Amino acid sequence: MIIQAAALGWALLLSQVEGQEMAPQPETQQAGGDSAAGAGQEQPGNGAQAPRPTRSGNDLTGLLTPEEPRPALRYDQPILCTRLPPTRQVPSGEYRMQCDPVTRRCLIAPAHELDSNGEETDRPLLRTSYCERAEASANVRMQEGYRFVPAIAESPPGWYRDEQGRVMQFNFDLHRRIYLGGAWAPLLRSGQGVEQDRMRVDFGIRTEFPGGDEDTRLHRLTFLETELYLGEPSLEVTVMRYDFSVERKVPLFRITTFFGKPRRFDLGLNLGAWVEALHQETIEREGSELSLLTWGAAHGTLDLWHSKDLVSYVRFRAGAGAERDRTHGQNTLVPAVVFEGDLTLDKDGFHHLLFSAEARKVLLDDPVTGRTLHPERLKLRAGYELILLAINDQPVSMVVDGRGAWRSDIPNVPAKWEWSANAGLRASLWAPARRSAPLASSR
Amino acid sequence: MLSLGLTALLLTLSPESQGTVAAPVPPQVDECVMETDDGDRFRVCFDPGNALLLGTGLQVRDGVALPTFQAGILLRTERTSRSKGMLWLNTHRILVTEATPGTARRGLTTTLYEGTFRRHLEEGFILIPTSRPLRVPFPFDVTLAVRAGHLERRVWEGPGLTVETGRAALLLDPVRSASGRLWLGFGPAASHSLRRMPDGTLEHEISPFSSGVLETGYETADGWWTVRASGMAGWINSLDGDRRFRARADTSIERILFALNDQPLWLQLYGSYAYQDVGLALRTEWTAGARLLVRSFSAL
Repeated sequence: MIIQAAALGWALLLSQVEGQEMAPQPETQQAGGDSAAGAGQEQPGNGAQAPRPTRSGNDLTGLLTPEEPRPALRYDQPILCTRLPPTRQVPSGEYRMQCDPVTRRCLIAPAHELDSNGEETDRPLLRTSYCERAEASANVRMQEGYRFVPAIAESPPGWYRDEQGRVMQFNFDLHRRIYLGGAWAPLLRSGQGVEQDRMRVDFGIRTEFPGGDEDTRLHRLTFLETELYLGEPSLEVTVMRYDFSVERKVPLFRITTFFGKPRRFDLGLNLGAWVEALHQETIEREGSELSLLTWGAAHGTLDLWHSKDLVSYVRFRAGAGAERDRTHGQNTLVPAVVFEGDLTLDKDGFHHLLFSAEARKVLLDDPVTGRTLHPERLKLRAGYELILLAINDQPVSMVVDGRGAWRSDIPNVPAKWEWSANAGLRASLWAPARRSAPLASSR
Repeated sequence: MLSLGLTALLLTLSPESQGTVAAPVPPQVDECVMETDDGDRFRVCFDPGNALLLGTGLQVRDGVALPTFQAGILLRTERTSRSKGMLWLNTHRILVTEATPGTARRGLTTTLYEGTFRRHLEEGFILIPTSRPLRVPFPFDVTLAVRAGHLERRVWEGPGLTVETGRAALLLDPVRSASGRLWLGFGPAASHSLRRMPDGTLEHEISPFSSGVLETGYETADGWWTVRASGMAGWINSLDGDRRFRARADTSIERILFALNDQPLWLQLYGSYAYQDVGLALRTEWTAGARLLVRSFSAL
């Protein structure tokens, strides 16, 4: 009985002591108010105005509740930069913190990169979001009983951060890049052997940007697209090319029928445009050379299909260009019909499929010895590009494609099919994350 | 007693019936506009007489099949006269042109202006100005039909052309419709024509109200169906005293097929017959054909 009474007395005494320690102090009360408002509503300058907070302990280790896999701070949620009790791994105590008042959990990530041993370095984290400096909040959270969960700092969409805090790009937009590549490009001409000593060097600058008010549009620009073949030589350079795809909200055609109850059928043709300026093509076959300069070409496009973000498409294109036959000194009109597609097969932009079939006919030309009047050109192409790796966040991709061509415009060279298979590598600069890139934490 | 009764009656009336609050008016429904399931609106009523006309088709003329193209400007107006307060129902057809390309029967027919002006009264009458004026019922609307600059050129007939410089007809309309969509007029017509012969000579012909004209037609209120018929017959005199009889008749029926972006397309079947009145040779011939007609801007 005496023992039981003594035990009860100790318990009451202990509970009284704990209650006194938990009693709110003036600083805590003030901070507690903003805590209830949520992490996202911290008042700027709180830490500067309040006296330096009293730490609950000298070591954070005992307050941590690790989770596996290690969570990551969200880039799109408010983040506080704060100082917590130092640990052996993070002696500076500088952390990025994101608290959830619902689960009463604070994700904390060191504000500097860690080395391979998990110890803090002096390199600050890169590509983080804005954070507010609020040291008082960390102290308040501790006293309010929040759990502190070691986490990985946030990273922007399309970027990934490892457990050492190093950030790296995992999502690439190959439609916005400066690329330089090379490929082995053997050529087979009908009735002749395979020309194996043939190489291709390619270069180009591409970008695209969305626009449009009523309609959703995607504008594409290409500059200095160049393909130079060595071996069986040929060269193609386009100084500038522009086209756009559009998703029209207003149907292009509204058809009303008047048999029975009138009904309306909407036909939304997504018509776009494609223009090219200064396209130079030089080709040499069987000792005969042809040099063509297209001053400009304008085509209309009809998207048979395009992705929601308009990046991928399958379409018809038709129009005409004004061409200068520099070899024979004549100006011609070259109408063309093209069926083409450019498909990005995955959300991170690693896989790309391209294909096209193109027919051109030269009109308004003068007779040239050794070739027919109004010669024609046919081109087929199917290719695949895959990002293999990224060096300093700049992707290196493998490019394979097959091409076929038939043309009757080279004098004294009989029209015949020629086929080439190209395999090579391409290094891309710029290549930012795609506009649709997800957050690493939501992958 | 009467005042008591009136008071009791007023008290039993609801406030609304006393005029303090207007009775609810049913929302006006525009029957010419329909909505899809998605709420997109589209027009289902059209005015065939108010449009920019474009058409193409195929006709058979005396056994020869010919492609045709047609174009013109059609206007229909209604106005109330300021002086008499009566309704005028008017139609105007400007530069209505039909062309038949090709080598076999290349030709062009165009009319600079053609219009009808129908004066409509609720109760027509004739005033006899006796000392006490008499009002005699007159069950007709009066229509003035005019045409100016009707040119007919038939290339295969060689040089020369026919121009009806002007025609005016005074028509009586017993139907007296208050709408411009129904009309029936008949009456005498006067005209002057020029024929420039292949040898360059000019022949003048005059019909001093010695011809009769019939004009009739009906268009449904929504414009989906249209039926028209017209005819002219009578004697025409040359300046040297010769007189000849000639006649023409035309009829057509139209049905709307569909509308593209609220611009309707009609199918027209038509036929015409001319007796000693076509071309420089004053041929007798018949024509039948079908046209697809777009009447742009005709949506109501």
